[in-house]
Amino acid sequence: MSYSESRSAALAAALGNTLGRPARFLPSVVATAVVLAGVLLGAIAAWRLQPLEAPPWVRPQALVLAAGAEGENDLSATRAAIRAAPSVVSAEFIGRDAALADLAQRPGLGNLGLRELRPNPLPDAFVVTFAPAAGPDVVEAAVAQLRKLNGVDSVAYQPEAYRRTWALATLARRLLAILGAALGAAAVVGLTISATLWVRPDREEVRLLYQLGADPAGIRRPYVYTGVLALLIAGGLAWWLTAIAASGLDPLVADLARQYAVHWTADPLPPWAGPAFCAAAAALGGVAASVAARLAMRGIS
Amino acid sequence: MPAARIEPQLSESAASVPLLELTGVEQRYGAFRPALVGLDLTVRRGEFLVVQGPGASGKSVLLRLMAGLERPSAGTVRIAGEDLARLRPAARAQMRRSIGYLPPGGGLLASRSVLENVALAPWAAGSSREEGVRRARVALDLCGFDAERSARMSCGELPGGERQCVALARALANRPALLLLDDLLAPFDGANANRVLRLLDPFSEAGVTVIVAQCTDAALAIPLPPPWPARARLLRLRDGQVSA
Repeated sequence: MSYSESRSAALAAALGNTLGRPARFLPSVVATAVVLAGVLLGAIAAWRLQPLEAPPWVRPQALVLAAGAEGENDLSATRAAIRAAPSVVSAEFIGRDAALADLAQRPGLGNLGLRELRPNPLPDAFVVTFAPAAGPDVVEAAVAQLRKLNGVDSVAYQPEAYRRTWALATLARRLLAILGAALGAAAVVGLTISATLWVRPDREEVRLLYQLGADPAGIRRPYVYTGVLALLIAGGLAWWLTAIAASGLDPLVADLARQYAVHWTADPLPPWAGPAFCAAAAALGGVAASVAARLAMRGIS
Repeated sequence: MPAARIEPQLSESAASVPLLELTGVEQRYGAFRPALVGLDLTVRRGEFLVVQGPGASGKSVLLRLMAGLERPSAGTVRIAGEDLARLRPAARAQMRRSIGYLPPGGGLLASRSVLENVALAPWAAGSSREEGVRRARVALDLCGFDAERSARMSCGELPGGERQCVALARALANRPALLLLDDLLAPFDGANANRVLRLLDPFSEAGVTVIVAQCTDAALAIPLPPPWPARARLLRLRDGQVSA
């Protein structure tokens, strides 16, 4: 045993603590890598979901039927009034002729002579989409306001259907929040437990070195280097584990997202993501080790 | 011969001020009875001070405060005019390098060799490996320990008296200006206690300030009262206060 405050000696000590003791080092680094891989998978999933937006089937919509025999200018005014209603994000116009043509093209309806109907019995209409964050009460109030607008004949809206969807979406959001918090707590606990495996300051030695006048930064340095080295390796291993897991999971999740019309980016991660993750993991290791060493020195001074 | 090797590290300008100056020092730990109360003490350079008192009288706390290992709850501790509480951690560490501190029990690492335990002091002070080993050998030799044997033996194998010799060698290895020796004589019988005190006397004569804490509990005290050097000053502590 020797002691030196030099960086090269601290690095040699760190290499001795890690690569020099593979039987103790490998299990702890693998455990840390597994925890980091879990965190990384969650982060990648969150990135692939960006921009985060509710799928169409979650967005509340209403069909606003315009009063008959409106001129084009009146329809523009009606549309502007609809857009001005609270929580309305879009109002898509569907002309009566276009609606009739669409109906006539549908299988089974084409031979009913819909094209020959004179005059066209369908009204002009607007498909109004409300903000996804708007609750059922807000949407129902907006619908009530739409019904009172000039140029609006009626509004087709199913409040019960949206209330059910809203309740399900709220439940899903809360479950995801609880799941995320639980995973985050598990990650913190896992990292803390694994950190104790690779940074275990010798309190007796730390105390003695402090008493003898060793520079506190010099005392911490071997532990900090050990933490950096261990997490750098664990970060690389976690990246590799994540790549393997993602190659199996990505197609399944992408297919699921497509079926539920959820946005899902399949683009590969940017090339700097791997090195940046490993660097962040190494920095985390350094900070955790420094804290562990400081705790070991606490109460001495 | 030992005195000729001593080169106290504090600067000459520091010689004009008391080496140690404690003013109104109080030390409390939570709601317990204070370990030290209103202590005023001045120690000159080269003085030999014996701090006596029963167990829990505040001797060890006093030495830890002098070593800069604790901060007083109230009052100031100055070494060579420097208020320890105002020093940055790195500066306090630097200060401790010129202090030879022997904690109760010696504070040796049982799994390390004798030589490594002693060399740790110069290594911690920034000496090279070779210089640390050289200083450790000199200090061990001074304390009557076979330096050749020291590299092979771990401290855990040593009996109490020899362990204390090794701890003393470590306190001396950095050529300190201030020696703080807590319960130094506890493991020694009368004859060996005298030998150790004779070893320290030349250091004090050469300008090193020596402060020895001595427990006066009948059960723990050495059989014979040690022959303290003639110029030694006795400071008696009881319940954290200087007693008559």
